[in-house]
Amino acid sequence: MKVINKQSEALYKIVVGHYLFSALCFVILTMMLFHSVAELSGHYFNPRILAITHMAALGWGTTIVFGASYQLIPVIFEKDLYSYRLPWVSFITFIAGLTLLVCSFWQFDSGLCMQLGGLLLLISIVLFALIVFLTARTNKKEASIQQEFMVTSTLWLAGTALLGVLLVFNFRFAFLPKDHLHFLKLHAHMGIAGWFLLLIIGVSSKLIPMFLVSRKTNDKLLNWCYYLINGALIAFLIDTYINGINTKTYFISMVLVSGILIYLRYVSDCFRSRIKKQIELPITNTIISFVLMLAGVFVLPLIIYYQLKQDPQTVHYTTLYGSLLFMGWLSALILGQAFKTLPFIVWARKYEHLAGKSKTPLPADLYSKLLLRVQTILFLAFCLAFYLGFILKSEPITSAGLGCLILTAIVYFVNLVKVLLHKAIVN
Amino acid sequence: MIGGDMEIDIRDKTSFFKAQVQESLRTVLDPELDVNIIDLGLVYGIDVNEETKTITVTMTLSSQYCPMGDAILQSVENCLEHFYPAYIPKVELTWEPRWSYESLTEEGLRQLGRR
Repeated sequence: MKVINKQSEALYKIVVGHYLFSALCFVILTMMLFHSVAELSGHYFNPRILAITHMAALGWGTTIVFGASYQLIPVIFEKDLYSYRLPWVSFITFIAGLTLLVCSFWQFDSGLCMQLGGLLLLISIVLFALIVFLTARTNKKEASIQQEFMVTSTLWLAGTALLGVLLVFNFRFAFLPKDHLHFLKLHAHMGIAGWFLLLIIGVSSKLIPMFLVSRKTNDKLLNWCYYLINGALIAFLIDTYINGINTKTYFISMVLVSGILIYLRYVSDCFRSRIKKQIELPITNTIISFVLMLAGVFVLPLIIYYQLKQDPQTVHYTTLYGSLLFMGWLSALILGQAFKTLPFIVWARKYEHLAGKSKTPLPADLYSKLLLRVQTILFLAFCLAFYLGFILKSEPITSAGLGCLILTAIVYFVNLVKVLLHKAIVN
Repeated sequence: MIGGDMEIDIRDKTSFFKAQVQESLRTVLDPELDVNIIDLGLVYGIDVNEETKTITVTMTLSSQYCPMGDAILQSVENCLEHFYPAYIPKVELTWEPRWSYESLTEEGLRQLGRR
């Protein structure tokens, strides 16, 4: 029995390209945020906030997820990628689409640029979905729950992008049967819960026990989690489309929360039964990300409560919710996991032919631990100042937090480049 | 030899050579755990065929989806080529029995901070 070939020149370039572009987007994103402190305290349906959200969700989050997926799909599906050309076409289309969309949101020009940007992004996402489905189809064995999570999340992503494009055209032609903000809620939750949450659960449920070498993994918990989250999301979309936010939304959000808690139970089992005792800094970042996700999820009932009371506070809590998920949960996760995955990819390329013959560094030696420590401290300082400033509605404190986030992004970028520029050392 | 304990059969002429190969394989590390594959209990058997000049290592990985699987198998081949250039290295991957915590040696557990 042979393990499948998981590393090739073509795959390496695709993956590394995505990691670099995502890091660059993160630096730009933090600067966009720094220049929009005033807008953060206003309504979330604002040109700059729309630009920032899409830069975070697509440029920072989705790009690195695409890159990591191309590396992990062969591992999880036990098949080589269906194509190595399609990811490039998807990537180039994605960059063009993102640039047009974010720039046109920032200046709020709802014309051709925004429409073209939206369409290019949709094409890119459909291509990604094709790669996932066609690779999954070649796996004749019974699909693992992780494969189900990945395939379903890709479907949700395609749905999110399609609705997003409709919303873009709706700015000009106003053809949607209900209010624009109504559809925006559906679009956002398809993206957050359908795409990011399901994909992250699918991938991390494979990677976390592997990185920790856990003795106990309970796939039954993942099955429950899969059905609860998908069920809650479908119920939310149907009910909110028909009735808007109402008291039933509390119940639906509880179903979603229970799915998340079951996943966290799975993760906790992995940690408790781990063989490797030491918790490294990238994993510490992952733990921080779970705390921020939980914080975000627990803001949900407050949003529903104020929405039902028609209290404008709902807008404030929605921004808090969005920032906890995108700048907190997703960012902390990427800031840590990038240093678990990329060093391995680079190490395999530079040392696979040398390992066993002579002493080689370990993947963890490829990045600077000092820079990662500084990055983690800066990120925690961002969380502390930004959310304190947000709660106290203090612009100077929020700005100080965002200053820390800019530094976090720069340190992350430098450390990532250090990994990529690593020259093979042989003793 | 699951668990890193190798039985020496004094009637088998290759026994001492196999023990030597096992020691050489201690230089192959799992890149994630920084523990060698013998103390991790990944090596299930070493076979030497003097007629065909072949060393066959039967081994497993800690996970079927291990992204470093290729690298570890390649490292074993590299190691055998390096230390025993007169022999043809062969690595056979098996998932039976499945690797478990019990496969670790005392030294492996110590290096992982569990002793």
